[in-house]
Amino acid sequence: MSVLEARGLAYRAEGRPLVEDASFRLEPGELTMLIGPNGSGKSTLLRLALGLLAPDAGEALIDGANVRGLSPVARARKAAYLPQTRPLAWPMPVRDVIALGRFAYGAAPGRLSAEDTAAVARAIAACRLAGFEGRAADTLSGGELARVHLARALAAEAPLLVADEPVAALDPRYQHEVAQLFAAAAHDGRAVLTVMHDLTLAARYADRLIWMKDGRIVADGTVADTMTAERLAAVFGIEADVMASGSRVSLTVAGPTR
Amino acid sequence: MTARANTLFALALTGAVLLALLLGSVPLSPVRVLSALGLQGNPGDALVVWQIRLPRALAAAVVGAALGMSGAALQGLLRNPLAEPGILGVSATAALFATFVLFFGLAGAGPLILPLAAIAGALAATLVVAVAALRTRSAVTLILVGIGLSSFSAALMALLMNLAPNPFTLADMINWTLGTVANRSFADLAYAAPFLAVGAAILLATRRGLAALALGEEAAEGVGLDLRRQRLAVILGAGLATGAAVSLAGAIGFVGIVAPHLVRPFVGYDPARLLVPSALLGGLVLVLADIGVRLLPTDSELRLGVVAALIGAPIFVWIAARGRLVR
Repeated sequence: MSVLEARGLAYRAEGRPLVEDASFRLEPGELTMLIGPNGSGKSTLLRLALGLLAPDAGEALIDGANVRGLSPVARARKAAYLPQTRPLAWPMPVRDVIALGRFAYGAAPGRLSAEDTAAVARAIAACRLAGFEGRAADTLSGGELARVHLARALAAEAPLLVADEPVAALDPRYQHEVAQLFAAAAHDGRAVLTVMHDLTLAARYADRLIWMKDGRIVADGTVADTMTAERLAAVFGIEADVMASGSRVSLTVAGPTR
Repeated sequence: MTARANTLFALALTGAVLLALLLGSVPLSPVRVLSALGLQGNPGDALVVWQIRLPRALAAAVVGAALGMSGAALQGLLRNPLAEPGILGVSATAALFATFVLFFGLAGAGPLILPLAAIAGALAATLVVAVAALRTRSAVTLILVGIGLSSFSAALMALLMNLAPNPFTLADMINWTLGTVANRSFADLAYAAPFLAVGAAILLATRRGLAALALGEEAAEGVGLDLRRQRLAVILGAGLATGAAVSLAGAIGFVGIVAPHLVRPFVGYDPARLLVPSALLGGLVLVLADIGVRLLPTDSELRLGVVAALIGAPIFVWIAARGRLVR
């Protein structure tokens, strides 16, 4: 059974369709990246798939159960969600921020069961944050903070991880670090879905790409199968050279299409 | 760390209440106070301790605790260190509703009318502020809505004062606006206590969600928080506790902002663990301020709310000027 299955999801706001007839499945062990130009409905689709937004049509199933029927706690135990990063309201220590990932298991900062503590420790190790536990969140660099948020999501140890632009506004080195951590999280056996703006990173790390344009899914498949010069021109309006060597695909963007 | 801070604040609060029993216009030795507490010794001493000093000190303590905890909870919900019952206009609206009841002579209908009116005002104001906060998600707008609400309540209060039929009603209203715990009885405490207890219980039961909200509302939902329930719980809890506090002491501002601000570093900036020590420190601040009010040799006694504002307003300005406002 798929970890997540979206069937014909649709959502309208103020009479304008933001997402139309979106269907896809996520399988464990796969890093799927959702790509598309600004305003193509990627974030809305994530929220619909997680049941945080009520669809106008269609349904999303997690482990075969309709997400809108799950309680917030039951949903959080199945799917960890990393929205676009917002500043933390308070400069809490890193350890406490990550502990919030165990919220659905009844944990709170400073009140963790043995199981919660072990999950937090595994997440800290996976995101290479050892030594940062006591640091206040407002003293971290952007790359460190992105890793803290990822660790928070990993601490839930949910079979599905969904993230919205986790590498936005990071330096290239941090972008690759975080993308690698997502790939590792997927290859540990999770299903991972993340919105990605950087096409080079998408080509480098994704196992599968879902292409969106104007609220519709226009392509869904491996990088090698879907990343073509024609599609980049049609979806993003850019002129690019796509070169495939073995399983690697690299692209060079020349500029906007004329 | 948190447990030690709580113990420390609880001990300090107990000490302050005992100190409040010792000090006053009639000099009483510690021995006489203790024997009066045990209902032995001079009946005059027992009267001073049991009828005047103890209910007054306890009223200051519970009012400060209710405001401190409400402030901490509202700050957690709205993700803003400047949210507080006084700043957000909650106290002023509660005081207005209470004054309204006094003005029209409705308070005589039963001892619960006054607390209920104050609580209704507090709930109405908390609801307005919360709706505004959720619509705009801007800290500046939120504070402006609070200021608007405060000003409107103050204007209506001024109107009622303007139309006051006699000097006694006017004096009553001034007490509500300025805030005081003078002449409070155990009966007053008993009428406010159930609402205060229920409000505090709701806030404490749902405080874990405040920690999740530190991540932002969307991420908090992501980790499994029922956002609607959390908002409702804080609005209801803070409304009940603040309303009960206002029904006891009138509008006293700034306690809810100063107490959580001072406590925050001791609990690792965790908005959930902030509630209990903020309540204890809020109680401590008001008991000490009330002792100061009683000891100052002024012709007419200073009102507690005036002293709280004199201390609290500069601290508010300081936090607002140097703190980064959360968007």
